[in-house]
Amino acid sequence: MAKTYDYLFKLLLIGDSGVGKTCVLFRFSEDAFNTTFISTIGIDFKIRTIELDGKKIKLQIWDTAGQERFRTITTAYYRGAMGIMLVYDITNEKSFENIKNWIRNIEENASADVEKMLLGNKCELEEKRQVSKERGEQLAVEYGIKFFETSAKASIRVEEAFFTLAKDIKTKMDKKLDEVMNYSWFKIQC
Amino acid sequence: MERTNSMSQSAKSQQDLYLQEIEGIDDYWGPTFRAIYDNNEHISFRDKLDQRIKHHDKDIERLCNVSYQGFIEAIRELLEVRSQAKKLNIEVVNIDKKLQENAKNISNSGQELLQARRVQSNIAVVIAQLNLCLPVLTTYSKLKKQIADKRYYPALKILEELEHVHLPHVANYRFSLQLRESIPKIRESIEIASMSDLKDFLENIRRFSPKIGEVAMKYANEELANDPTLVGRKKKRIVPQPDDGVGTKSYAEEDLSAQEMIDFSPIYRCLHISTVLGSRPTFETYYRAERTKQARLVLQPPTNMHESEESYRAYIHSVLGFFILEDHVLNTGNGLITRAFLDEMWTTALSKIVSALQTHSAYCTDATLILRIKDLIMLFCMTLRNYGYTVKPLWELMRELRDHYTEVLMQRWVQIFREILSKENFQPLQVQDQEEFELILSEFPLDADIPDDITFPYLFSFSRMVPRVYKEVKEFIYACLKFSEDLNLSQAEVDEMIRKSMNLLLTRTFSGCLSSAFRNPHINLQEIIQIIVDTGYLEEATIYLDQFISNITGEETRGVTTGVVQGQPVMFRVAREDAVKQICEKLRQKVDEFLELESYDWLLVEPQGQASTFISDLIEYLNTTFISFTNLPPEVAQVACKSSCQHIAECMLSKLLDENIKQISMGSLNQINLDLLQCEQFAARGPVKDLQDDVLLSYFAKLREILDLITSWDWPTYFHDYGQETSKYKLVVPDVAITILEKLKEGDKRTMFAVLKKSERDKKKLLETVLKQLRQLSQIPPSKN
Repeated sequence: MAKTYDYLFKLLLIGDSGVGKTCVLFRFSEDAFNTTFISTIGIDFKIRTIELDGKKIKLQIWDTAGQERFRTITTAYYRGAMGIMLVYDITNEKSFENIKNWIRNIEENASADVEKMLLGNKCELEEKRQVSKERGEQLAVEYGIKFFETSAKASIRVEEAFFTLAKDIKTKMDKKLDEVMNYSWFKIQC
Repeated sequence: MERTNSMSQSAKSQQDLYLQEIEGIDDYWGPTFRAIYDNNEHISFRDKLDQRIKHHDKDIERLCNVSYQGFIEAIRELLEVRSQAKKLNIEVVNIDKKLQENAKNISNSGQELLQARRVQSNIAVVIAQLNLCLPVLTTYSKLKKQIADKRYYPALKILEELEHVHLPHVANYRFSLQLRESIPKIRESIEIASMSDLKDFLENIRRFSPKIGEVAMKYANEELANDPTLVGRKKKRIVPQPDDGVGTKSYAEEDLSAQEMIDFSPIYRCLHISTVLGSRPTFETYYRAERTKQARLVLQPPTNMHESEESYRAYIHSVLGFFILEDHVLNTGNGLITRAFLDEMWTTALSKIVSALQTHSAYCTDATLILRIKDLIMLFCMTLRNYGYTVKPLWELMRELRDHYTEVLMQRWVQIFREILSKENFQPLQVQDQEEFELILSEFPLDADIPDDITFPYLFSFSRMVPRVYKEVKEFIYACLKFSEDLNLSQAEVDEMIRKSMNLLLTRTFSGCLSSAFRNPHINLQEIIQIIVDTGYLEEATIYLDQFISNITGEETRGVTTGVVQGQPVMFRVAREDAVKQICEKLRQKVDEFLELESYDWLLVEPQGQASTFISDLIEYLNTTFISFTNLPPEVAQVACKSSCQHIAECMLSKLLDENIKQISMGSLNQINLDLLQCEQFAARGPVKDLQDDVLLSYFAKLREILDLITSWDWPTYFHDYGQETSKYKLVVPDVAITILEKLKEGDKRTMFAVLKKSERDKKKLLETVLKQLRQLSQIPPSKN
């Protein structure tokens, strides 16, 4: 059977409970928004196919439960992830502070070359903002990763964030592939 | 005389006779003289006569001598008398003068007296006459006054009196004539006036009848509240008077019975008048016709009556008022309207009322309004009954209204349930402290054991929806009950009604809401699971609802044996089955998503040595998911798990048999084998409780047998045992085997060089043989022995 896609990227959404991971995913996969807060239990995923540089890329995005009690279940999914989105809530200082802990989690459980990205969600709630954009940017610089302020509700930069992450993964993959090719080519020449 | 005698006798006597005759007769001496002349005696007789005269002269002389003295004396005396008479005359004149003077006053007085007497008598006459006239006038003025006061009946009576008693007495007066002439006019004007009064009255009662209806209903209501026979289930629900003091006061102020508010006198007056005037039948006809017309107006409900309670109230009040008045007229109107007439009018009215109320209440979608309408109609009925009207059709209407009410309630509860469900997070309910915990327990009877040492935050297994829905069902029961209040239904009837409504609510309304919740495309697996858990709790709680109803209605608990409770699991069964289906469906969708990621290299030479990523991801996902299924009733989890496994197995097999894949390699089969092993491991682990070990595995058995048969190339066993129950490959149908072998054959063709090897050639030959045999087998149906 012909493959329906060229690449399959597994992405993972992590962050504190209530920062809007599911909503971000919902916005990206179904272009919809649901106000009711339903905390994710265990793990769920959505699949969306996008096109980058003429290639069909299937994004299998895993949505993890932010709650501590599901930690053991969710960490199992870190390993296979090629990209991880760290999500915090700009109206919740604590969720921002916890990003450090999430990063540590990634370092412990995910593969070293996993592509990461920082998302400050709920940016439509400007009047309730607790975490400034600068602090977000600074943290992202600190870890050498990209940063977006998004709003799942107002549909701001969600698409952009996922596309960017996918593109980065693809670039990284292509580069790796090239290296392998070069290496084998080199070997053959030898 | 002696001389005469001396003459001849005869002559002498003759002459004497003549003399006598002359002396005797003063005149008429003619005959005598004639006689004398006839006899020629006149000379003698003249002598005789001379003699006679001489004789008489001598007599006179002697007589004068004799009387002379006396004569003198007499003269003297006469003279004396004359002076005396003169004196007397003077005296008399004086006296007369005096008398005249004195009598003059008397005469004047007498004159005056006479005058006065005359006046007096005149006055007496006038008084007598006036006395005759006066009653006429007073009566007339009374008549005028009565007319002015609009007391036409007394006026008529007076008029009659005037006509027959008083006027005849004074018939000769001109005013009496005038009066007499004006009497018919007055009569007529009275009739007209009384008619116009009646019209005013009719207009008036038309205006007043709503008020009368209102007051009558108020009394009926108060009576109801005070009625000691009506204590019982509804007593506790009677709202006490807000303020007794004020209540009684206002009661006293308006302590008029309904009919007392209206002055019926015009009607009686008219009736009397028409009776007196003899136009009673006309009047009766007129009155009845007018009232019938009014009835038609009254019975015409306002077009937008369904919009507010007020219009219902107004309508009912005016109808009620109308018939109260009519009843009163019937009782006091002295036959103005008959019972039959009123009954007939009522019968037609009743059907109109019923249809009007029916039509308008059917529009009503507000339960509270329906309740109010019901109360109104109830009171309406009570009041009407007090006035002796039959109200049976209205009770029928009440039943209809009750059904409608239940319908409306259902609709309202659909909204409520929808709202609950829309706000529901489908998360186990978490309580932070004892207080909250107890609040939940007070709202929802939890049958399960609660550990003694609960720690907070405590997590219930059900979600917020459960106590909410339970509470709402109770509210619904209360709402249902509200309608049956005062309806004079037996408790058993109420009980049955409520149970029926509740069943309907849970089976139809709530299940419907749940089902539509399932159909929400965004609903996630977790939520469905929670719904199933929740319905379980609700189902358990129906026993408490049953008790709850029994407590309210006082009917025996219908126990587990009777129909109601038997029906209860059914209440949620539909929703539950739906939910289970949804779970399976959702899981299948997820499985499909994984399987779409499948990227088999069908010409793989060597397997990777581990299962494909999509399979391991899938298995891991299922593992996680089934962990969260632990709250579910085991059978639900089992069904979901079975359906997933079956689906995976079917999909994998169909991939293998996919017509689009023409060539496969042994290596790829081995890879599939590895994947299948993953699945089998998962199945064997028993991801859900209480499932027989081999049940899940059995779904993969077919694929397993196919893979085993082909990878081990165990055709002799296959053919040998073919068609036997004990066959190792009893699930492998020849056609399937053929399909795969064909693909393998095609796959082998790619390795051109292989043909050169002998072993490969043998293998190929063998494959052809096997295919041939398989084709033969597929021609004949497998014989079961």
